[in-house]
Amino acid sequence: MSKYVIETKQLTKNYGEQTAVNAVNIHVEKGRIYGLLGRNGAGKTTIMKMILGLTPVTSGEVDVFGQNIKGREKRVYPRIGAIIETPGFYPNLTGTENLEIFAKLRGTAAPNAVKNALGIVGLPYRDKKLFSKYSLGMKQRLGIANAILHDPELLILDEPTNGLDPIGIAEVRGFIKALSTERGKTILISSHILSEIALLADDIGIIDHGVLLEENSMEVLEEKNSKYILLQVSDIPKTSLVLERQFGVTDYSVQDDHFLRIYNTSLDMAAVNKALVVQDVAVISSQLCNDTLEDYFKKITGGEGIA
Amino acid sequence: MQFYKWTAFSYTPWVILPVVLGVVSTMLMYDEHQNDMLKQLWIIPVSRAGYFFSKFTIVLFYSICFMLLTAAASVFFGTLPGYITVEWGSIVYLLRKCVEIAILTAFSVLPLLTVAASGKSYIFPVCVTLVYTFLGFILLMVNMYLHPLSSMTAIVMRDIPGVVLTQKLNIPAAFICIAIWCTGSALFAVSSLGKRK
Repeated sequence: MSKYVIETKQLTKNYGEQTAVNAVNIHVEKGRIYGLLGRNGAGKTTIMKMILGLTPVTSGEVDVFGQNIKGREKRVYPRIGAIIETPGFYPNLTGTENLEIFAKLRGTAAPNAVKNALGIVGLPYRDKKLFSKYSLGMKQRLGIANAILHDPELLILDEPTNGLDPIGIAEVRGFIKALSTERGKTILISSHILSEIALLADDIGIIDHGVLLEENSMEVLEEKNSKYILLQVSDIPKTSLVLERQFGVTDYSVQDDHFLRIYNTSLDMAAVNKALVVQDVAVISSQLCNDTLEDYFKKITGGEGIA
Repeated sequence: MQFYKWTAFSYTPWVILPVVLGVVSTMLMYDEHQNDMLKQLWIIPVSRAGYFFSKFTIVLFYSICFMLLTAAASVFFGTLPGYITVEWGSIVYLLRKCVEIAILTAFSVLPLLTVAASGKSYIFPVCVTLVYTFLGFILLMVNMYLHPLSSMTAIVMRDIPGVVLTQKLNIPAAFICIAIWCTGSALFAVSSLGKRK
């Protein structure tokens, strides 16, 4: 039995000549939140559709709960809750009525399933407001309620915070986190908003132009973000000499005529400043810097950035 | 009987009911397409065939209701001004024929449900409905066993007193025609729904 709830092997999707997803290997572990991060049109939704069997795979494999979903839909789908793109419901029914239809179609046994699901996402039960009158945020919440209605083990959420206001985003983030930590749900979530994924995900996959550029845990990614001391001086050659001869520092890089980065952050900067002044080098500024995840993503996606 | 021929058995089964059912079929399919609900249904999972036949069941139910209403209205507006006198025998006959028309027409317009199921547009299925209905009406005079609606008419008209058909009546051929079109439509619909995400 695979330790992954979702595993893709060389997953590829072509639309005619165009490759939307190119040899993607995703590994979603049980009980963890996997954030699929990428710009609009990067291929996130296509990957999710292929995982759910909603779009045929051009080549490669998708395993969900250790088995190929094709031909096993009746056994696998009840274990999955999903929102793909915008949640669709009958516009002339209320949120409760819509969920009751989906509960019946799913054969959801729990008597309070609809009420509980609506409660979790903060929507009123038995409200008379029709779905067509819902705001985008309310529609999104109802979509999430529908996804969690049957208490699935795996949630696949495609940009679930789209259209929500900042407070709504924080609330949704809170209950998605709680679903994972308190109820042990495995969650695959996609977003083009870096900060969302950074705050939510345990593991992260960065996708750009259909290619999975990186897949790692958040801890590892955070470790990768380099810390350094940014030094602004009047004379770079003299500063380099001082650093190398007096302090034995070789782990530094010159940015331009006045800036250099020292990657050894434990260096005694007071002593460095003093030595530079003695050598007649003016120290204009010195500060401890930390590259953000955004900088890192810009770097690996070729400078275009995600957030 | 002559009165019922003018009301329930005249243009209702040939033109009005098929057009109404074609529009109903389009509306039934359009709602879920327009609101992007299909992918939600597929991952429940609802089978494509189950989805299609549930829609057909609604069309069938609607068709029966429509024809029963037509029968009731015929009797009511016939007796009220005194055109006809109430005879239980003829009323039972009217109801039986109306249910027969309703069921056969619902099956005969299954291709229209397929057209509605295989596209996202609203206009195209409605246009096809009009063409399909009038083609059935025209083919009635050429060959009754090519088009489901003309085959349906052949079956329905077989025992209506005073109706003279220009072609030789072949009821099995009429049923075979409807069955072939229905089977082909259902297979095509399920296949095209499989491609709809």
